[in-house]
Amino acid sequence: MTDLRLTSGDTKPPLGGWLPGVRLTEAQAAVLNAVADELIPGGDGFPAPSEIDVISFIARYVAPAGTPARWFPFLGENDLRARLDALGDGFVNGGSLARVRVMEGLERDESEFFVRVRDLVYHAYYSRPEVVRAMNRNLPAGRDYRPTPQPYGYSDVMDDWDDELLSRVRGTYTRTEDVRRVMVPADLPVGPARKLRGEGS
Amino acid sequence: MAAYTETDVLVIGAGAGGGAMSKRLSDGGLKVVCLEQGDWVHAMDHPHMYDGWEIERKRTWSFEPNVRQFPEDYPTTGNTTPYIFTGVGGSTLHYAAAWPRFKPVDFRKGTEHGVEGTIDWPISYEELEPFYAINDAEIGVARRTGDPGNPVRPEGWGPASRGGKVGHKMGSGFDKLGWHWWPADNAILTRTKDARLACNDCGFCLAGCPRHSIASTDVSYWPAALRNGVDLRVNARVEQINAKNGRATGATYVDRVTGRRHEVRAGAVVVAANSIGTPRLLLMSAQNGHPDGLANSNGLVGTHLMFHSWSFVDFWFDEPLEGFKGPEPAVLYSQEFYDTDTSRGFVNGFSLQVGTALGAATSALGTNTGNLAPWGAGHRGFFDDHFGRHALIYVQGEDLPVRTNRVTLDPDAKDSSGLPAPHINYGLHENDRRLVEWGQHRAREAADAAGGVIDTTTTGIGGIDAPPPGWHIMGTCRMGNTAEDSVTNKWNQTWDVPNLFITDASSLTTGAAVNPTSTLQAVAVRAAEYIKRRHRDIASQTITPSNADAPAL
Ligand SMILES: Cc1cc2nc3c(=O)[nH]c(=O)nc-3n(C[C@H](O)[C@H](O)[C@H](O)COP(=O)(O)OP(=O)(O)OC[C@H]3O[C@@H](n4cnc5c(N)ncnc54)[C@H](O)[C@@H]3O)c2cc1C
Ligand code: SF4
Repeated sequence: MTDLRLTSGDTKPPLGGWLPGVRLTEAQAAVLNAVADELIPGGDGFPAPSEIDVISFIARYVAPAGTPARWFPFLGENDLRARLDALGDGFVNGGSLARVRVMEGLERDESEFFVRVRDLVYHAYYSRPEVVRAMNRNLPAGRDYRPTPQPYGYSDVMDDWDDELLSRVRGTYTRTEDVRRVMVPADLPVGPARKLRGEGS
Repeated sequence: MAAYTETDVLVIGAGAGGGAMSKRLSDGGLKVVCLEQGDWVHAMDHPHMYDGWEIERKRTWSFEPNVRQFPEDYPTTGNTTPYIFTGVGGSTLHYAAAWPRFKPVDFRKGTEHGVEGTIDWPISYEELEPFYAINDAEIGVARRTGDPGNPVRPEGWGPASRGGKVGHKMGSGFDKLGWHWWPADNAILTRTKDARLACNDCGFCLAGCPRHSIASTDVSYWPAALRNGVDLRVNARVEQINAKNGRATGATYVDRVTGRRHEVRAGAVVVAANSIGTPRLLLMSAQNGHPDGLANSNGLVGTHLMFHSWSFVDFWFDEPLEGFKGPEPAVLYSQEFYDTDTSRGFVNGFSLQVGTALGAATSALGTNTGNLAPWGAGHRGFFDDHFGRHALIYVQGEDLPVRTNRVTLDPDAKDSSGLPAPHINYGLHENDRRLVEWGQHRAREAADAAGGVIDTTTTGIGGIDAPPPGWHIMGTCRMGNTAEDSVTNKWNQTWDVPNLFITDASSLTTGAAVNPTSTLQAVAVRAAEYIKRRHRDIASQTITPSNADAPAL
């Protein structure tokens, strides 16, 4: 087990994110929800991010003030709050088209920040049980998908090999005693070993 | 009380090679101390039950020490980042456990072409085979016997991992083309063994396995080694291997908890700190009589670094394949193009290994090749078309051992104990570029034969970044035929220091076109058997015997 004397403080990020998670103000949460809803619009049987509390996930993965944002997604509390405040009510109330334009601007001009937020929202959204249920309902390829790999795994719904197909496999290999010198392609740089022996280019 | 500990054998590194070595030596009653710079990983340290399981692979379970930045990791500098893990189990703590063997031809590549630094192995497949078998039994391999493309292999501990829809789909593609393919051997339990549970196909192997189904050495070899009485010291970072009068006397390590230094004295020293850590430590061990580092009088320590040459090709199909089920990386492989055919313009060959994908977030974020679901109006359609309809083909090529691909010491960067960081230089040889490019087309042919490809993207030649990141890190202290062409003899005994052995992936002479761990562990088991049976001879040797003169097993 990890020796806690070596891992306290900020030497490792906690598994599952920092608890209790950064508490955004109502206004900041509204901006973040609006951003998330533009990144992954709801519809076609899938909820909008704002309806399923992506914020509680995001809050755990933003490095709290005083902890350096050294690990993915490299977003620190103070920076995030400041950026959300700067977008503010105007962003929330401006209508979808305007919001998309602002975000396209961010993607172009502040791509590092934009990509961090985008990736974190994607992670948050696809971790929510409501989204997994939507995948189970709406996607034939997602029928059996579960929110976490363990503890259930997928052995109960996993296909085995097709013996008939395997019975047709052909193949061979070179035996030790059958290994022979090959003619190396003339245009291949061959390096010192063969040059010393006067072989190759 | 003595200021040092005395033991028969000191093993440095508790990973793939060090775990196998410590267990086997202690089976024979030898007194073993093993020093490991990392710590134990607990079953609850794995992210498999957290809602952030996918994001954790970019943080706590990142493959890259420079991204994790844990205090037990050492940083690396240079033109590429190696993927390694630090702890009891070493890089097997996050490996995929694909378990192919090298083929007979792989031990004779010097005879076959000898391009760049390629030499023959000092041993043959037939000499190594009994040790493959011992090691397979120890780790509990999952296997379907009968592969006509390889020498006969013994029954596995359990049957092959199931192939799921991906296995059926891609197997059908290879079948249509009449190409060789076979279900992958995996170092994964498909039947419970000791305290390890059988795999339940959860699909998330590359962050370790909380069920202990994957044979990382913390669960495969270490429980038995500890029962045998091995003194495993964790958080013990070796700073120097000590030598006197041409023989190793032991090592000095820093206890990372207290910061204090300790000495272990031993009759023989085995280094298994991996293909980056081992040359780093040998170079750090420059001292009186060994001005360029230990075992380095011929300047070969750190050279001939191999990573395999890679291309990842993601394919999406018009039907559900549910790749989130089942062990992640190796469902099946084709070795149709394994052997050299110089009419293709290159020597060596490659395996096509079929893998799967992770979960929904990974799918939205581009799977393995950056094919990102767009944000905004197009997101839903893209995601719904791509999720769970994916198969990955890895083109896994044999890269040439090139002398200038190497590990040296960085003059400036240091680890948390103030020891120099390794510096890595790696570039793909023209041969390897041609090979991977040609292989990408074969991957496409296989997917087309399977039918219904709707999208494909690739990492190009070399990996997601160029030069490729290395996770099969091999060859920097290779075993060979003479004191001029290698760092060790055929018993992994360094040419310069007869009681200093190297038994990790750095000892591999060439890299073949398959995953390395089953082979490096077989080599470690073989060397352990040698040390066990020949330790009295080794104790009296003042020079390392040639391969011809070395006493037999
Ligand atoms: C993502 C990923 C997937 C992989 N998948 C596969 C696969 O499917 N099949 C396969 O065969 N291989 C796979 N590998 C490769 C496999 O992990 C390695 O081949 C194997 O672990 C190498 O064994 P080793 O003994 O050389 O070193 P390691 O297992 O890395 O062990 C070295 C140990 O030495 C310790 N050490 C280093 N320096 C010091 C020091 N100075 N003092 C004390 N301790 C020290 C390290 O902390 C480490 O624990 C994969 C690797 C990665 C990263
Ligand atoms: S798929 Fe199997 S081996 Fe891989 S992590 Fe899940 S239970 Fe473990």
